[in-house]
Amino acid sequence: MDFRTLLLNEFVFLDGGMGSMLHLAPGELPERLNLTEPERVAAVHRAYAEAGSQIVYTNTFGANPLKLAGTGVDAAESIRAAVKLAKAAVGEGVCAALDIGPTGQLLPPAGQMTFEAAYDSFRTMCEAGAEAGADLIVIETMSDLLETKAALLAARESTDLPVLVTMTFTENGRTFTGCPISAAAMTLEGLGAAAIGINCSLGPKEILPMMQEMAKWTSLPLIAKPNAGLPDPITGEYYLTPEDFAEYMPQFADCGVQFFGGCCGSTPEFIAAVRKRLNNIRRGRRALQRPAALCSGTRTVLLDMPRVIGERINPTGKKRMKQALLDQDFDYLRGEAISQTDAGADILDVNVGTPGINEAEVLPQAVKAILEVTDLPLQLDSSDPAALEAALRIYPGKPIVNSVNGKAESLATVLPLVKHYGAAIVGLTLDENGIPQSAAERFRIGKKILEHAQKLGIPKEDVFLDCLTLTASTGESGPSETLNAVHRVRTELGLQTVLGVSNISFGLPNRPLINRNFLNMALTNGLTLPIMNPMAEGMMDTVRAYRMLAGFDPNCEKFIAAYQDTGAQNAAPAAQPEHLTLTDAVCRGLRQDAARLTQAALEQHAPLEIVNEMLIPALDAVGADYEAGKVFLPQLIQAATAAQSAFGVIKQHMVSQEGDSADKGKIIVATVQGDVHDIGKNIVRLLLENYGYDVIDLGKDVPPQKIVDTAIANQVKMVGLSALMTTTVGAMAETIKLLHQQYPECKTVVGGAVLTGDYAETIGADCYAKDAKATVDYAKTVFEN
Amino acid sequence: MNPSDLDRAEILMYLGTPSLTPDLDAVLEQCIESLCKAAQPRTIYRVLPVTHTETGVTLGGLPLQGRDISLHLTGCKEAVLLGATLSAPVDALIRRAEVADMTQAVMYDAVAGAAVEAVCNQLEAQIRQKHPYPYYTARFSAGYGDFPITQQGDLVRLLDAPRKIGLTVTPHQTLLPMKSVTAVMGMSHEPVKDARRFCCGQSCSECPYHETCAHANL
Repeated sequence: MDFRTLLLNEFVFLDGGMGSMLHLAPGELPERLNLTEPERVAAVHRAYAEAGSQIVYTNTFGANPLKLAGTGVDAAESIRAAVKLAKAAVGEGVCAALDIGPTGQLLPPAGQMTFEAAYDSFRTMCEAGAEAGADLIVIETMSDLLETKAALLAARESTDLPVLVTMTFTENGRTFTGCPISAAAMTLEGLGAAAIGINCSLGPKEILPMMQEMAKWTSLPLIAKPNAGLPDPITGEYYLTPEDFAEYMPQFADCGVQFFGGCCGSTPEFIAAVRKRLNNIRRGRRALQRPAALCSGTRTVLLDMPRVIGERINPTGKKRMKQALLDQDFDYLRGEAISQTDAGADILDVNVGTPGINEAEVLPQAVKAILEVTDLPLQLDSSDPAALEAALRIYPGKPIVNSVNGKAESLATVLPLVKHYGAAIVGLTLDENGIPQSAAERFRIGKKILEHAQKLGIPKEDVFLDCLTLTASTGESGPSETLNAVHRVRTELGLQTVLGVSNISFGLPNRPLINRNFLNMALTNGLTLPIMNPMAEGMMDTVRAYRMLAGFDPNCEKFIAAYQDTGAQNAAPAAQPEHLTLTDAVCRGLRQDAARLTQAALEQHAPLEIVNEMLIPALDAVGADYEAGKVFLPQLIQAATAAQSAFGVIKQHMVSQEGDSADKGKIIVATVQGDVHDIGKNIVRLLLENYGYDVIDLGKDVPPQKIVDTAIANQVKMVGLSALMTTTVGAMAETIKLLHQQYPECKTVVGGAVLTGDYAETIGADCYAKDAKATVDYAKTVFEN
Repeated sequence: MNPSDLDRAEILMYLGTPSLTPDLDAVLEQCIESLCKAAQPRTIYRVLPVTHTETGVTLGGLPLQGRDISLHLTGCKEAVLLGATLSAPVDALIRRAEVADMTQAVMYDAVAGAAVEAVCNQLEAQIRQKHPYPYYTARFSAGYGDFPITQQGDLVRLLDAPRKIGLTVTPHQTLLPMKSVTAVMGMSHEPVKDARRFCCGQSCSECPYHETCAHANL
């Protein structure tokens, strides 16, 4: 049976549970049965087909090469057998769907499996299934949106089969990894699923409101495959009868569900009961207008009011950011992401374009790093299509691509990427002839971009236009032409509008004043997505006030929440202790004071002088107290954090002065391959940086050779390795062995919960550090010699 | 979670400090509140048959390795296998703090340790109520004594934990989300005199990790 023909039916009936029907013995692997006892599996398929299932799922839920590793069962072989036996069991009238379940591991930011590893495993499954003649592919019981994306892309890129995707949600309407229904729906539709829905999770009663929610976010056919109620906590048995289960189904039909089946605890009787109950019932009609929205893997941002795109992660005109990118110092990017998130940005722009950087390599790394610390959706900003594609692949959710323009080449290269990955797109209203002066001409180019996008199937609500801000100093009509173009795009085309706001004041004095006023004018003219610095004075204030005055803030709730304390603060400015020294501030762990006093000290002292005569004596004093048992870890860290903020100020100063570095030497720190417990290593890094060392932090789960290569490339004198698991100290030993072979002059220091001095010696480390302070002490001896 | 569920003394133990200054205490209270808000504790358990064999012990058909776990279940015909996690948002909270404010990160880490213990305590209380055995052994986890951490994956699969509570294990046997636990508790009609204590069968002074272990330094 052809899937497209099936879709013409009012309802399509799937199957129910497979595991319980197979009556597995303890430890018995269901996927092995495809090869050893095919008849046992075929009998289940036949029972479902006889009960009225029009699509049966092959017995391949766990037939992922990653999951079957070590079991002696070959995934592709099991899949080919499963598809063939299913087709033979159910005959021509019923479709056999290749069933794909999760790998059981998590992808970033929650986990460490790479997108590529997940993708390859799913691709192996899809190729085997398609080769054996599967009629379609179903991806089910998914929790991690990025893993789901890997599976869906693998299916779409390696076969021509239709793909159904269902995810599993908990009572709070999110998956285990925190993915909301809205984000799942918009992402999976964008990636080309043929139908989407919810399976497993809970019983029909609990899933019904979730289906109603999902129906609002997608125009795709919907799938419901609930469990047979909730399991008994002691016996694990499901309690709903087939009739009780079926009784909920008309309500599912009402909200537009077309595909019906069951998951855990359901049997052929359930499918028969559902078919019977839905006889003579029609599917509810659905509104096809999807809301304009973006998402990350854990957060949806609805574009129903002006939303702020934070512009700080962009090296243009920012020396410190440029340096961070060249040094692969992703923590600096993470810090900027956190500051902008806290300041109130709704979306973050990510641009890594600077000479000396391979964008296709660095953009996806930056995206991963940023998503570790913020749940805001991102705007992928590059003129390099390869970089855009690399980032689009590993982005969990629906991002914005910035940008395409009216040039034929740009339209031909960027728009297909946007379509393939289901992103939204910013169109710049310029073309081969440059940026037009007039609003009318920019509007015309914008309209052309929209038409091209729509021709490729990119929905109108996903096309945003940037009518381009030119600096006001170039001509008095410039700002008004921009504003007129924004107004026309918003009112005549109904599209989202984007502008880089601060360009308006380039080359003029008192830029903040101009920026604020222009922002206000642009918002009033229909700007919906200002690209701006949310930390810049008055900018977020302007946005919040506009939202409130323009009716986007019911009961002024958000405005009041943002400002109700300002009165009190203005009335009583925080008392600043006058006699506080920088050394005191660090000893007492006062971050803001430490930064402020460092800024002041830089007016009279050289950076190195500040480090050696103020910061380090303070840290030494705290360190001595720590060793003497007078202060404990929290105070030590608090002082180190204050020193860190002082160093932040010094670094900023040095980059802008292009002076000599205050660094005392380079040290690599890394958590070894396989290990993801990072906090100990991060404490060590913090303290080493405090003492003026230039720390190259390679992060966690770092392959041995990468550590060695980095050490050699940077002529690093000392490498610090951390491991928290007995299973990963082997990787530590391997790293040290490689270092000894390839770079013997480098010193190694190791630490972590499972290490001991004896073990450190066994694996050939030069030093065992029982805590972060001990690492600093060792570094001093290495660099003084 | 409720902040009052957490044992403050235990948090201080993980922080390696007998007390906190008033300003750090305020930071801790803030961290406890945020973490309790972010945490979505999920638990699962199974009561499984225990079989003692010549080579050791099996739980629900799964052979468990090492002498300690075998002794821990001496005389037990059934045991509880449990899994608990604070879920992904807690990991995200800690990741973020590691960049934004290390003091908070260290606090969150300690609070999360106490929180996952509290979740296990609550689950254990429920289990004891539902399955009225007079004696339960302590919660013993893979990695304690000679019960190898490499069995973590087997335990997670036996619980169907990825699907039931979103608890997964990496190829290197790390539980993810990170603030998670699996453990085995023997159920018995007699006191289990050979049952193992907290983290290993030995006294703390013999333990190779004595110097850095938070519990040993209580």
